[in-house]
Amino acid sequence: MDNEVPLPPPRRIRHRSPTKTPVASGSSLRKTYQLSRFDDRSSQPSSDPALFSSDDIPASGLENYHAPGPSGSRKRRYRGTWWGEMVKDPKRKRADFKEKRHVDSGVWMGSDESGADSLLPSEDPSMWGEELLNDTSDAATVTMTQGDRSTTHSQPWPQRSGLKKVQEPKEHQAARNIVNECLENGQDSVDLSNCYLKMVPSGLLRPLQHLTKLPAIVEPPVTEDVYSSLQPFLRLFLTGNSLQSVPGELFELGSLKVLSLRYNKLTEIPPAIRKLTLLQEVNLAVNRLECLPWELLWLIKKGDLKHMVVRPNPLMQIHQAEIAQWHSPAGTEPDSPEGTLKLRDYEGPAPEEAWAPIHVATGPVRRFNMEGMPVDAPASASQPAPQESRVPSLREASLLACTRSVFFDQVSDDEMADYPGLILRLLRQAKDVWSGGGRSCSVCHRSFVIARTQWIEWWDCSTYENGLKGPRCPGEKLRPLPFRRFGCSWACVPNAETDQDGQDDMAL
Amino acid sequence: MASSATESEFVTLVSGDGFEFVIPRSAACVSGTIRRMLEPSSKFAEALTGRCTLENISGIVLEKVCEYFCYNEKNKNQSNVPDMEIPAELCLELLMAADYLDT
Repeated sequence: MDNEVPLPPPRRIRHRSPTKTPVASGSSLRKTYQLSRFDDRSSQPSSDPALFSSDDIPASGLENYHAPGPSGSRKRRYRGTWWGEMVKDPKRKRADFKEKRHVDSGVWMGSDESGADSLLPSEDPSMWGEELLNDTSDAATVTMTQGDRSTTHSQPWPQRSGLKKVQEPKEHQAARNIVNECLENGQDSVDLSNCYLKMVPSGLLRPLQHLTKLPAIVEPPVTEDVYSSLQPFLRLFLTGNSLQSVPGELFELGSLKVLSLRYNKLTEIPPAIRKLTLLQEVNLAVNRLECLPWELLWLIKKGDLKHMVVRPNPLMQIHQAEIAQWHSPAGTEPDSPEGTLKLRDYEGPAPEEAWAPIHVATGPVRRFNMEGMPVDAPASASQPAPQESRVPSLREASLLACTRSVFFDQVSDDEMADYPGLILRLLRQAKDVWSGGGRSCSVCHRSFVIARTQWIEWWDCSTYENGLKGPRCPGEKLRPLPFRRFGCSWACVPNAETDQDGQDDMAL
Repeated sequence: MASSATESEFVTLVSGDGFEFVIPRSAACVSGTIRRMLEPSSKFAEALTGRCTLENISGIVLEKVCEYFCYNEKNKNQSNVPDMEIPAELCLELLMAADYLDT
């Protein structure tokens, strides 16, 4: 009976294996072998009897049913074996155990490994790692051969295959270290200022959207201010670098609350900043901006943006700019620059308009043709009326499909140079737009690549520039900021936007 | 024959590999190139027969182009234009075709 067991079982096993054998012998020999083998493997050093807390023990009946406690539904707890034995004396328990060992409980107490064992490919656990290793080494050799084969055809392949790692500049590595540190420590204030970054390497900022704060452990006396939110208040400081463009990746950080791009070399803020709907504070000072994206104004009006620092910057000045229409508030003489550049006098508490951004003027609309080239005469006879429709051109539609396709970001500049010259310029433009986080029409909100219309709106946001510390004074001189708007079709122009915006306001 | 073709409401676009697409004249004239081809005063063969052969556009691409023509025609006066589905594998060829057709 015991000779199926390969090794003499340890002392504790003794009283178990005979228990199993009668069950198994009825079915098959093989099963017996397996059972006893599992027994060997699952045998654990004997430990204290387990603590049970259940009423439905097999031996439970009326005779040992204790009177329920005051709560009535409380489960009984006892220390002992699962068939209901109480532990009175460890030695006595041993004896009882031996007496009962022939009773078949009908319950197979195989350990968890019994099921998992049969699923595993290899019986020997020491082999598992090797199999994996074999798999990966196979894959490695495949890529190696591919790499070798392609070197005969073209040179740039080995660098792209990832076999040869391109050394990253030091400042990028330092920036990555800072980001990783913040991620590990759950620090929601990411300080990448003065890192000498000329560009933001790809993949640097993306992990930050998964940043989670760690709970702080505070010494006892526990007061109320110990409890802080674990929701990260994400702040990103890219101050004092040499960035020339803002990466589109930045705008994927939907939870970003504070963004500082102060003291860089930015010439443009991509309209994709609109995606940062939780942004509360933004600092764009000391850059090379001539105008701001209209989406920033949208964030003030519809979003959370409370504080916006944009000066100093070489911003366009309203006195030098061409103005198509002055928006003077009702009650003042229309179309006079002096009247609109002054806030209306008010008495008593500051009205809402002393806080809100004020639309001062609108610049002329510049139109572009389907190629994205400026068109001089906006409504000349040569342009037929159907051009005013909102339907995107086929160029636009296919460019947009390009930017949405998966392979677009994998196309390198070298590969692009092989494309026909006709579409090369459009594709380059699409790539720029894509890397800036995409654009959407400021009138009809459609995504687009080639802007068909563009104009400047002048808004005074001085209350937001000082962080909503106070309303404008009566009769204060307005200092409007230029906000650039893009339209996706020739029908998306300032006049069309007023009724659309009105609808939006009604909806909100 | 010639006069009837110019007045005809439909034109035929033929792809390089021989597929023919019959679409409304107004839809085809969304393309600047086709519009100039079909200009009655030009006396081009296309204008006389109402049949444009586009040698460098394959049938698959031309089908999508025709779909775009109709999509453009349909949504011309709408304020809320739906997006047109363009499969990723066609978008570069369509871009070339769009450049050629000037649409």
